[in-house]
Amino acid sequence: MKKTFSALGVLALSATSAFAEPVQITWWHGMGGANEEVINQVAQKFNAAQTACGLTPVSKGTYEEALASGIAAFRSGEQPNILQVFDAGAATIMNAPGAIIAAEDLLLQNGHSFDREAFIPGIRHFYADADGKFVGMPFNSSAPIMYINDEAFAKAGVAVPKTWAEFEAAAPKLKEAGYIPLTASQLTWMFFENFFSRNNVQMASNTNGYDSFEGTTLNATAPEMLAFWNRVKAWHDAGLFGFYGAGWADNQKPFEEGKVALWIGSSGSFGGLSKTATMPFSATFLPYDETVADGNKSSFIGGAALFAFAGKTDAENKCTADFYNFLTSTDVQAFYHQATGYVAITTAAYEKSKADGWYEKHPQAEVGILQLSLPQGEWSKGYRLGFYPQIRVIEEREFNKIFSGETTVEDAFKAIEAEGNELLAKFAKTAG
Amino acid sequence: MTDLPAPLAASPRPLARLRAAITTAPEPAKRVQFDRPLLPWLFLLPQLLVICVFFYWPSVQAISSSFYLEDPFGFGSTFVGLDNYTDALGSSEYHHIARFTAFFTAVVTAVSLALGLLLAVKADAVIRGRGAYRTALISVYAIAPPVAGLIGMMLFDQHIGPFVTLAAMLGWDMKVGINYGDTAFAMILVAVWKQVPYNFIFFLSGLQAVPVSVREAAIIDCRNGWRRFRTVTLPLLAPTAFFLLIINITYALFDTFAVIDVMVKDKPANNPITLVYKVYNDGFRGNDIGGSSAQSVILMLVVLVLTLAQFRWLERRVHYG
Amino acid sequence: MHRIRPLDHLILLCGCLFMLAPVAVAIMTSSHSAADIHVNGLSLAPGGHALDTYETVLTKRGGFTGQVTGATMAMNSLILGLGFAIGKIALSMLAAYALVYFRFRFATAMFWVIFTTLLLPLEVRIMPSYQVMSDLHLLNTYTGLIVPLLASATGTFYFRQFFKSVPDELLEAARIDGAGPVKFFFDILLPLSKTMMAAIFIIMFVYGWNQYLWPMLMTTEERFFTLMRGIKQILQVWVGSQIPDYNQAFALAVLALLPPVIVVVVFQRWFIKGLTESDK
Repeated sequence: MKKTFSALGVLALSATSAFAEPVQITWWHGMGGANEEVINQVAQKFNAAQTACGLTPVSKGTYEEALASGIAAFRSGEQPNILQVFDAGAATIMNAPGAIIAAEDLLLQNGHSFDREAFIPGIRHFYADADGKFVGMPFNSSAPIMYINDEAFAKAGVAVPKTWAEFEAAAPKLKEAGYIPLTASQLTWMFFENFFSRNNVQMASNTNGYDSFEGTTLNATAPEMLAFWNRVKAWHDAGLFGFYGAGWADNQKPFEEGKVALWIGSSGSFGGLSKTATMPFSATFLPYDETVADGNKSSFIGGAALFAFAGKTDAENKCTADFYNFLTSTDVQAFYHQATGYVAITTAAYEKSKADGWYEKHPQAEVGILQLSLPQGEWSKGYRLGFYPQIRVIEEREFNKIFSGETTVEDAFKAIEAEGNELLAKFAKTAG
Repeated sequence: MTDLPAPLAASPRPLARLRAAITTAPEPAKRVQFDRPLLPWLFLLPQLLVICVFFYWPSVQAISSSFYLEDPFGFGSTFVGLDNYTDALGSSEYHHIARFTAFFTAVVTAVSLALGLLLAVKADAVIRGRGAYRTALISVYAIAPPVAGLIGMMLFDQHIGPFVTLAAMLGWDMKVGINYGDTAFAMILVAVWKQVPYNFIFFLSGLQAVPVSVREAAIIDCRNGWRRFRTVTLPLLAPTAFFLLIINITYALFDTFAVIDVMVKDKPANNPITLVYKVYNDGFRGNDIGGSSAQSVILMLVVLVLTLAQFRWLERRVHYG
Repeated sequence: MHRIRPLDHLILLCGCLFMLAPVAVAIMTSSHSAADIHVNGLSLAPGGHALDTYETVLTKRGGFTGQVTGATMAMNSLILGLGFAIGKIALSMLAAYALVYFRFRFATAMFWVIFTTLLLPLEVRIMPSYQVMSDLHLLNTYTGLIVPLLASATGTFYFRQFFKSVPDELLEAARIDGAGPVKFFFDILLPLSKTMMAAIFIIMFVYGWNQYLWPMLMTTEERFFTLMRGIKQILQVWVGSQIPDYNQAFALAVLALLPPVIVVVVFQRWFIKGLTESDK
């Protein structure tokens, strides 16, 4: 049976070249459910829009499974043309320059134009190299924003906080009104990575790791970070901050049930919330720390980007470039943004959605874009840290310990820094 | 495209030496055996072929990468000798996880073996409804792991989990995902639940294989049910029990990482995890090939010693046929 | 000996309750809507969405090619389950027979060569295994899906345990009758092993049927999609942006439960047989 299949494959291949059938390219991604269906639609739109190329998307499980599949495939020469890689795993693939072709190079080499300025400011640097050249093509992007239980604020009669000081002022009244004032999902993203970006504090040496992997160290014990976390711990002890563990949904659930006044989640969460929340809600920016001098900057983007693997024929690379070009077109971006809840990554797609009246119907959909369009600080462009998924595991472990009282904020961040630095040093060695 | 340096990639030496150390047969041989030089090899060939190509070949690669720090894409690698081993063994976090792994393995093995045996003995004893019991108990084994995980997760949900509500009525403020002990309890319960049908099936088939004449003789000789179980049934089940003991230990050590992943919602934080979960997290999720390979080699050695010990000491007590 | 024993039934009922409650919950929960499941969690009462959910699951054409239905996924799972179970029984019975019933050089060494494979699960050596499969050009084939999973000694170990407990007198008698190794295997050992084979078949069928990680890594074509992949795909939705279609996942899981249950029911009869006589 196997032989028949491969024989068919050979036939299909030779037929391709003989009759100028479309050049086939593949795209491995890590999405499921409704988002996978949108990816399929995007691919179908691309295939319908032109005849030279045929794109097949393949779901490879979760983000991690997709990256691992891509790595295994590359080592065996079976790599797809395009691989979707998530934010924390970006350093792994960008550490292997021979494995990928930078998105910008690919587009320019194949006769397309590329304008970095067309992208929303907060999106320009995360998947780019130190010179600002786009290595990955931003695809699905999100930002951490704060959701508001409108009923709670009406009942307590306080204003929605913009800074953590304003939160401290409002929280006791929210508590008196019978609400848990604040919860947050995935503290690593909200209160660690994006504390650095939102408040413009350096996250790691070597320009947040962009300059080199060699000798990069984590700046977890920054005084601003320690001061902020001591406040968070005090809120928790005073019943102003609810912590339900590292799981995402555990912290979101009480907000849906209307027990919590403020919840920090993803800019895309409004889609699910609108089906499950028991009360009217709105959204605003992730608060910033008023004690830090140069704060209130844009946040890092979360989500994932597309990377083009090397080792493919020129014809296939041309198709990949064509697809990138298609993907960043205003119509496709606006479609993707509106269908998934991920932020629009180009200014044009944002303007189009605005013209479509999309944000009048879904005001929360605009918050993430606006937050990513805030002025960018020196340290809010992004971070490039090896083995970062494991460093997140360490952060999560220590955060849990802080709230259970097993450790102090100072000791916890010392541990994160020490163990994180060991991993970073190890990663530098893998490059050999 | 392999990037492993040739001498290491092809060195099964450590394993060969280990095997050479096992000089005597670990089990009492059958009294009567066939004496054909070639036929047994013919029978062994398919299994050996599959094992060599799909087990030893990849395993040797895994072992050799434990001495390197390697870029996942295979571009660069640095020979680091035993660094990956000393890194793992020197970390207090690793020791902490190792201790929990030992505890978890012991409890899961003991409880699921005991429950499986109890249910099998009872299902074998009753006449009325035995088919229904059997089908009911075995079919649980078929439930899909992701769904079993989902059920487990929802059962222990902090906000709406029925089990948590139940615990609250008994005054137990259960916090799976935050409280170390509560999470461990939930993990053990789900892991046991998934393994009991496996043990049930094999114990039941072991019991069914006991000749009816033996059972009837036992009933006449020994009226006391518990004594009959200890003196007749249990020894007859010993070969099955020995098989299940080893299988359950490897299950608890190796095959529970999906359960654990679901219970901690893929974010271990400071929750209890086992060594294999760490290997999976570091290697598959974190792309640290060298470090995770070293961890799996350590694990392999531990299990090898454990298995050897069981075959050499415990199997002496197992009475076959 | 055939009297009713209330205590035994009580224990069995408690056991069934502990084991089956989650299954019952899965069936009931599958009849609720996704949002309902998200908000209220598991349910023991039926909801009103059973029909449309099951209809969707069975007939919806998913995937990029639009060719993936519940039925095609079930077919692939079936191939995987059957291929794995049959392959495993064949390989491991032969190997165990050789190890137990033959005297030959290196028998002990071979014993350890085979039993070492209990030590390292596929998940831990999955990356090098992928490379091996690619070198052998077995990616995207059923062979590649099934054969590497066979490289473990559970079956061999189990049959070894059983063969060793088969009374020696049988072999002695057979040899007096002039039966050779092949005849002894087929005429005596095989019929004796029915219960064992049934047990192994059930376990291995379910194991193959429920595989996820290996097929996911190994295949890139939608025609190889299995039920397990379908279930995972549904549940895996970007945190918060949507609610997973829990109802469909539960429904697929309930459907996925059926073939193994059928296998169990079919093999029931083999379980009832004793070693030499029937119980009845």
